[in-house]
Amino acid sequence: MRKCRSHWSQGDRERHQRRSHYYEGPHTSHSSCGGRTREEVVTPPLPEHAAAGSPMAMSVDFKTYVDQACRAAEEFVNIYYETMDKRRRALTRLYLDKATLIWNGNVVSGLDALNNFFDTLPSSEFQVNMLDCQPVHEQATQSQTTVLVVTSGTVKFDGNKQHYFNQNFLLTAQSTPNNTVWKIASDCFRFQDWSSG
Amino acid sequence: MSLPSGHTMGHTDQVAQRRARCSDIYQRRLSSRSEKVNPGIHSSSHQQQDGEAAMHGAHMDSSVRYTPYAISPYNRKGSFRKQDQTHVNMEREQKPPERRMEGNMPDGTLGSWFKITVPFGIKYNEKWLLNLIRNECSVPFIPVEFHYENMHASFFVENASIAYALKNVSGKIWDEDNEKISIFVNPAGIPHFAQKELKSEKVEKIKLAMNQQCDVSQEALDIQRLPFYPDMMTRDTKMASNPGKCMAASLHVHEENIPMVMSAVGMDKWKGTEPGGKCADRSPVCTTFSDNSSNINSILELFPKLLCLDGQQSPRPTLCGTEAHKTLPTCKGSFFGSEMLKNLVLQFLQQYYLIYDSGDRQGLLSAYHDEACFSLSIPFNPEDSAPSSLCKYFKDSRNIKILKDPYLKGELLRHTKRDIVDSLSALPKTQHDLSSFLVDMWCQTEWMLCFSVNGVFKEVEGQSQGSVLAFTRTFIATPGSSSSLCIVNDKLFVWDTSHQGTQSALFTLVPTAFSSVPAFSQEQQKMLPS
Repeated sequence: MRKCRSHWSQGDRERHQRRSHYYEGPHTSHSSCGGRTREEVVTPPLPEHAAAGSPMAMSVDFKTYVDQACRAAEEFVNIYYETMDKRRRALTRLYLDKATLIWNGNVVSGLDALNNFFDTLPSSEFQVNMLDCQPVHEQATQSQTTVLVVTSGTVKFDGNKQHYFNQNFLLTAQSTPNNTVWKIASDCFRFQDWSSG
Repeated sequence: MSLPSGHTMGHTDQVAQRRARCSDIYQRRLSSRSEKVNPGIHSSSHQQQDGEAAMHGAHMDSSVRYTPYAISPYNRKGSFRKQDQTHVNMEREQKPPERRMEGNMPDGTLGSWFKITVPFGIKYNEKWLLNLIRNECSVPFIPVEFHYENMHASFFVENASIAYALKNVSGKIWDEDNEKISIFVNPAGIPHFAQKELKSEKVEKIKLAMNQQCDVSQEALDIQRLPFYPDMMTRDTKMASNPGKCMAASLHVHEENIPMVMSAVGMDKWKGTEPGGKCADRSPVCTTFSDNSSNINSILELFPKLLCLDGQQSPRPTLCGTEAHKTLPTCKGSFFGSEMLKNLVLQFLQQYYLIYDSGDRQGLLSAYHDEACFSLSIPFNPEDSAPSSLCKYFKDSRNIKILKDPYLKGELLRHTKRDIVDSLSALPKTQHDLSSFLVDMWCQTEWMLCFSVNGVFKEVEGQSQGSVLAFTRTFIATPGSSSSLCIVNDKLFVWDTSHQGTQSALFTLVPTAFSSVPAFSQEQQKMLPS
């Protein structure tokens, strides 16, 4: 972990400190050190959770959801593509166990399949040029906090020509009192020029 | 396990039996489709098959129509038969003990894999066919991953001399109709199953149960990437007694088994039984199409690309070499998960874009949830100095990678259906090309559908009139009334392919059976401003 610190911004360092605190908590089953915490997308606790103990339920306005979504999306995208490019084997840590990926029309379902898939994919160099996100309406998620993240850019897979790509993610929040861990529930990836790929 | 010879039964009995099985398989394929198919589409694919038949000299039953798009990508053909199980056991027994399933020769080098294909082999029972070949083949061989692919039967062998011997069998064997059987041999890349040691027996079973789309000449395509449903094999054994039924049953099985992310509960809500939450009255959208079955024809006519579920031409066989070169999986066409969802989504898209392109987008109010979200983006291209047809989208573009102003971040995410429709109404007038649409249904639960549409559209007015832009639009929708969808999230991404320097592949004529379908249907052409 130390060797990567130079790549981290101040924000990353702060979050890392919070992370360490999280992992030292009683509900963790493993130690805090090692590469694991790098592959977690973590943001401050969700508003509802902060208010959970209060006598009055706090209504969370839309703007808060939007801000939270943006934070999650930005953090996520940084970690995801760096992990994809540089630490491919750790990539599936960002996925839920039952996550699904549709990669240029190929369906990959579940962690085992995902592990296999990313293992067989050539090494990559991603360049993300566009990022947008939206909080997903709770009616669609039955109050499981979810963010739609959309990215676009270029990717060069080893041995192949460069492609423009679009990618969509649904990130779901797993909340703790201290922070929120985001994982990919669903992932959709396409080359923009898929039929010549 | 002894292999019965091909001539134990009376000749005519066999012929009758196989004919019955053959047409049974085809009939069940057709009847498994819940909706009618446009006869126009039928004939073109039939013609294609006739052409191929003439080339290969194989016989094609002219009374049967082949409808490739009738079958979901998981079920081109199924071999849920007990014979496959025994096939694997046989294979295992014969394999030298020191050789694991990773393609390593005893001296550690990788073997040479060859793909053996019997054109129109789908007509033949696997055991019968392999026996026939064995009887004629000068060397013994172990067929690996026997499977049916489109109309053909294929398997792999791991030895050049065996492949050569098999090639010599071509034209020297006949089926019961006295038609010559050809055998084609191609070098294959290292098949997926040879790359990694298959540890679990379960995976073995799945491999055989789902030996479709397993074109192992693409190294990276791995059967484990297909959805795995643990109870599949128990279902299969029930089907084993009636192989003719296997095809339809396997189609049925896969229609139910849609990757579920958040819930394993059934999909009743999507059949339009119960309306979702706060969707307001949506009559303009809902009443346009009341009769599902007759409208499917027109919808399918409008979306030819979507019907070609495996839109990619067959991959070039790679010569296996000493370099462990990873290749990318073949890019495929639309993925829907099930026929029902496909129809639902296609219908939705047709209705949506009919209004979107009509010149008045206010009609879309009924398509959105009260508290829906919408945003749009265009690519951020620092090198892009020339004004482009995207400039009209620029002011609405939300790209939080470069946009740091929190006020704008909030503003550019449109919230509430009124805001959304107002903002959509301000965007340039368009004409979408439904025939270019490619859809990925990438998340579905009991409460929502999430799918992305890729396609092209034309600008129909203003300075950029006639210019073609490409888009990807992601919808998250909840079940609405009258089997419609209620949009809760809408994300549009628009780009200009000419600026990328690459030709939009969406414009490229991906080989489909429907190249005669015009880019814009007659209905759409009527909608175009004169």
